Amino acid sequence: MFVLPPPPPRYTVPVAYAAGASNGMAVPVVETNNIISHPEGGCPLQVGEGTYHLKDDLHLATPPPHPSEAPVINPNPLATGVTPPTSGVKLSLVQVSNQSKAPIYTLNGTATAPLFGDGNPALVAPPVREGLKRRKPKNNIVKSSSSFVSRVITHESLTKRLNDRSPDGFFAFANINRAFQWLDLSSKQKEEPLAKILFTKAHILSHDINELTKSSSHIDIVMGSSAGDIIWYEPISQKYARINKNGVVANSAVTHIKWIPGSESLFMAAHANGQLVVYDKEKEDALFTPEMTSSSAEMLKSSGRQPLQILKSVNSKNQKTNPVSLWKVANQKITQFAFSPDRRHLAIVLEDGSLRVMDYLREEVLDIFRSYYGGLICVCWSPDGKYIVTGGQDDLVTIWSLPERKIVARCQGHNSWVSAVAFDPWRCDDRNYRFGSVGDDCRLLLWDFSVGMLHRPRVHQANARQRTSMIVTNTPLGNRHRADSAGNRVRSDSQQTADTYSSYDPTVRHPVEPRARTALLPPIMSKIVGEDPICWLGFQENSIMTSSLEGHIRTWDRPREGINEDYYDHTSSPAISASAAASGSGSALGDSVMGSL
Amino acid sequence: MTPLEKMLQDMGSIREDGSDKFFAMENNFANGPRLFQFGNTCYCNSILQCLYYSVPFREAVINYPTRTPIENLEAALAKNLHYQNPAANLEAEAQAEKQKASTPQRPGAPPNQPQKPEDKDSPEYKKKMALQTLPLLETTNNSASYGMSESLFTSLKDIFESIVASQTRIGIARPQRLLELLRRDHEMFRTAMHQDAHEFLILLLNEVVANVESEAMKHPEKSLPSTENMESSQQSLSSGSKTPNTTRWVHELFEGTLTSETQCLTCENVSQRDEIFLDLSVDLEQHSSVTSCLRKFSAEEMLCERNKFHCDNCGGLQEAEKRMKIKRLPRILALHLKRFKYTEDLQKLQKLFHRVVYPYHLRLFNTTDDAEDPDRLYELYAVVVHIGGGPYHGHYVAIIKTQDRGWLLFDDEMVEPVDKNYVRNFFGDKPGLACAYVLFYQETTMEAVMKEQEQENFNATMAELNLNETTVKQNGFASPTGLSHVYSASQIPTQDEPHRFTGLKRAPTAPQLPTHTEHIGAEAAAPHTPTAVLPPVPPIPEVNTRPLSPKKSDVQSKKERAKEEKERKAAEKELEKQRRKEQEARFKESKENQRRHEAEMKAAMEASRASKADEDRRNDSGKSGGLSRLKRGSRSFSQRLGKDKDSRASSSGLPAVPNSDNSSSSNMPPEPLQPLSPQKVASPETLLVPQDDDPDSLKSPKGDRSTHGKWRSFSIRKKSFSMLS
Repeated sequence: MFVLPPPPPRYTVPVAYAAGASNGMAVPVVETNNIISHPEGGCPLQVGEGTYHLKDDLHLATPPPHPSEAPVINPNPLATGVTPPTSGVKLSLVQVSNQSKAPIYTLNGTATAPLFGDGNPALVAPPVREGLKRRKPKNNIVKSSSSFVSRVITHESLTKRLNDRSPDGFFAFANINRAFQWLDLSSKQKEEPLAKILFTKAHILSHDINELTKSSSHIDIVMGSSAGDIIWYEPISQKYARINKNGVVANSAVTHIKWIPGSESLFMAAHANGQLVVYDKEKEDALFTPEMTSSSAEMLKSSGRQPLQILKSVNSKNQKTNPVSLWKVANQKITQFAFSPDRRHLAIVLEDGSLRVMDYLREEVLDIFRSYYGGLICVCWSPDGKYIVTGGQDDLVTIWSLPERKIVARCQGHNSWVSAVAFDPWRCDDRNYRFGSVGDDCRLLLWDFSVGMLHRPRVHQANARQRTSMIVTNTPLGNRHRADSAGNRVRSDSQQTADTYSSYDPTVRHPVEPRARTALLPPIMSKIVGEDPICWLGFQENSIMTSSLEGHIRTWDRPREGINEDYYDHTSSPAISASAAASGSGSALGDSVMGSL
Repeated sequence: MTPLEKMLQDMGSIREDGSDKFFAMENNFANGPRLFQFGNTCYCNSILQCLYYSVPFREAVINYPTRTPIENLEAALAKNLHYQNPAANLEAEAQAEKQKASTPQRPGAPPNQPQKPEDKDSPEYKKKMALQTLPLLETTNNSASYGMSESLFTSLKDIFESIVASQTRIGIARPQRLLELLRRDHEMFRTAMHQDAHEFLILLLNEVVANVESEAMKHPEKSLPSTENMESSQQSLSSGSKTPNTTRWVHELFEGTLTSETQCLTCENVSQRDEIFLDLSVDLEQHSSVTSCLRKFSAEEMLCERNKFHCDNCGGLQEAEKRMKIKRLPRILALHLKRFKYTEDLQKLQKLFHRVVYPYHLRLFNTTDDAEDPDRLYELYAVVVHIGGGPYHGHYVAIIKTQDRGWLLFDDEMVEPVDKNYVRNFFGDKPGLACAYVLFYQETTMEAVMKEQEQENFNATMAELNLNETTVKQNGFASPTGLSHVYSASQIPTQDEPHRFTGLKRAPTAPQLPTHTEHIGAEAAAPHTPTAVLPPVPPIPEVNTRPLSPKKSDVQSKKERAKEEKERKAAEKELEKQRRKEQEARFKESKENQRRHEAEMKAAMEASRASKADEDRRNDSGKSGGLSRLKRGSRSFSQRLGKDKDSRASSSGLPAVPNSDNSSSSNMPPEPLQPLSPQKVASPETLLVPQDDDPDSLKSPKGDRSTHGKWRSFSIRKKSFSMLS
């Protein structure tokens, strides 16, 4: 076995750097390299189907602050100055060939769902001439003189590496502090980034790759920054464009960004001020003024309770410039959003603890669910689009059913806030679902749930009838306050929500379900995988990946088929038995869960 | 103008319920010659602020047994509310500068420092300015007027009532009397050492309970008329909050019930025992949340080996499983994060800098099946922050959500509006050693939360609309300015309002600050001609202090100015005289106090030296004075109890509060050299504790515990113990 040289000095934590600088200690300003390591003993994840083995731990280097723009550190811990937002490392993965895709699920009406903005003639894209190359952004990022981009370091043998690699391998794009790295995960020297962009001050908080336009010669990436600016970046030609420059459209940090599914040029960005903005990568910015009819302006004044303020509709005739549309969801930070696989719905989670399900094509909020308490942080859809899973500050992962418009179960197992959730489409079928979650507690948890198990009436038999009737009631009308809660609860008001809204409102506001009437799901696996909060999780065909606040990207190989049976038969780890209890015999769940409440 | 004043600009008329008062609390420590009188009292200030801004608690305190007649209060206020004389301040400042210049006070500081302009953003500077400009509110003992004998409760009530009754919104309250009483009755707080805010909170709550109940015992007949009075007084209150009509109001607010369920593993018989708590002390883990800490608190625990459980059913010591759950949820949940942990290796307390996240809202998972309203929603309304590297020194501040003015930072004499996100700076992972130490969650409803959020959204929308319409305004400061719209719309200030407000209370504020530093030099040379100072004479010049018309003063004719100057000088001299007199009196008093205090200090030092030596011999580097005794008690205590997690909860008496052993503690006889066996170290009172918590006592039926005295059973003292252990 080879021995790694001692690692160069590095900033383990941005915070540590800040602490050092604020105490007047000398902080070395050294640009460091990524380090790949294979932790001794690994970090095996044992589940029913076998053991996931930790392949490696790639530690991204945190860049030192820009020499001229070093953050001012106030030694007073009570200083009231506002620090700009930052984010732990998140990955965007892309495989340029389309060979192995996630299993396809039967979705209702994928074919029929129109594209966003289809009804608006002003938005019809100019006909793409076949055979021509895709449009690239205008500016070369390497030669950029922008004050926004500090510098770009490309790998010396970039073209050679690009030519030599297999198209099946994954590219990974990762943000860390003010850097943005382009990695080739299939490469032998995967710790060496193909390119690294250093921004002057801004931190990239979220980024996404357009699955529709990717090819071996073209990848469209959008990234949202803490300054509010958005970068459209094409790594192969090293070109970029800056959108929402200096926050001209929406002057607030971009907390989450996603390409609109099926669209080549439209993407949606969530801003920290509660605005949800659709931009066109090809369009110029213009200073935004809300487009409102006088009546809608009146409505704004009359109530702050509208679930959505359409400040610019996608149907607006004025589509020469960005934004394409702009909605104000709330005055709260939008923490994340996710498009449903059927491309019709949008699930939005906010700092105020609400999950809002939108028909984004019609620009309508359908449902507002509430977390048990505290803000929601992350959201994702099941591959078949039937379930939404959220994670939040109540340390819970919550499963919601879209067709039934209700909470399905609360999943308890994290010891701190849940920062990311994701389904594992390779372990989902039409009745059983596997998903994972990571959190500030440095843990990775895996969960299984199955349809039959979740639809069983639960402990409180007396409530069962009431429940079913509630499930059936999908209409927004009618006051759905639970009559039974008044009897056994003195303070029933703590569960009440403002349900008494006017009837023309298409939005259903769901009250918080009490704990005693909601199924509780235990994890099938829970493991501390690092020493710092984990902030991203992804499932690939052959692996599970996580990334952490301080830049650790960990990859686990899936168990190989052959070993599978072995583990199933001979191990008796508690994780496995738990999984058996959870997925196998449904009846065990309710009881054991209620017992541990 | 300070940010706080900016925020309060359009508040309308003064409310009667005290919700619009934003008083700082004076910390004697930082304040000149009275320096060591009380030591650093930030622990007290931060807790008092947290209690004041709990609406039900404040209402209960001011209304029990009755409100002080308004005449009495006004009389007291007239005497005790000192509006500052700006000229005098400047003069004092100039003198201080002079002094500093001639004799550099701090040995470590570079000698040329006084010449440098002070950092205006430093909290020290802000506090100094606050002390010089804001009205000072002293509280006197009003206990006779509502028929109680003086106690910690009455002094607390006096502070709250005078703040509520004062005609100014901002000022600095001086919790002097309360501290005096505290030190009179409690040896532990007599030294100038760093005190624990959580211990103070528990002591204060227990004392309030005791004071109220002993008073009620004395006058059983009085309880009836007093409730009537209260009802009438309540009618005058606009807010419909609850008034106490029993002595149990503290219990009703802070008290909850814990049930410990013990299941014998031999016969599977489950036995239950209820305990009352005023707060919950939770152990911390790295990278966890308060939710998880609370769940850990209720996690199952095996009673085995030396810690077996005496089962009534099968007789004899058996292995058992035990868990603690919450049966009755308190209305105010005080969560104490055990940041100070005893480490065996170092033999002392250490501060844990674990990252423990806390959400703005909370529900409790660890309730019993039969708990009433197990899904009760709590909202975070106050955070006590400890800043410092260890348990023996540091500073406390409080960050509090006020009723309608958002979050404020209370740092002794300084009060500042802060952003909502500011509350999250104290998870423990940020540089600067500041961590949340006590969290106050109050019960709320989903409706209220949604209403608040809607209001926020609405305000933001309005602000945006305004912004779009005018396009001039920037988005201003970070605090929820939007709220002001709601009030300004409905309450147009009356004609005399601004006069009343600015005339007296705002005199020495905004325009002075900028001129201030420039004139220091000149004033040092000629202290009696602070030329640029605006006159303190109320009506006309006060208009100048209005922030919207800063240029008006330039328009004024020179004649007017000269006239004003004269008037001002006359007034100044008058005030100066008065002030001198007052100062002399105060000086005398403080000298007296100082002398007394010095004597006390000497005694305490003597004692601590003795105990220190004693401890050194035992290789124990603990604290001197009251706490060392406490710690030793607790350690032995924890040793004895072993892994019994009972120590987390509170069932003990008040062992560490030496409320009756003044005589023995005044000169602190060092504990005899002995191994740490509990029987010998613990004082008679503390001995009660282990007995009480002996696993054997589990067999005693529920009601049995009442024999230990009513209010004693509440004490959570033992929890702070386990914090120490």
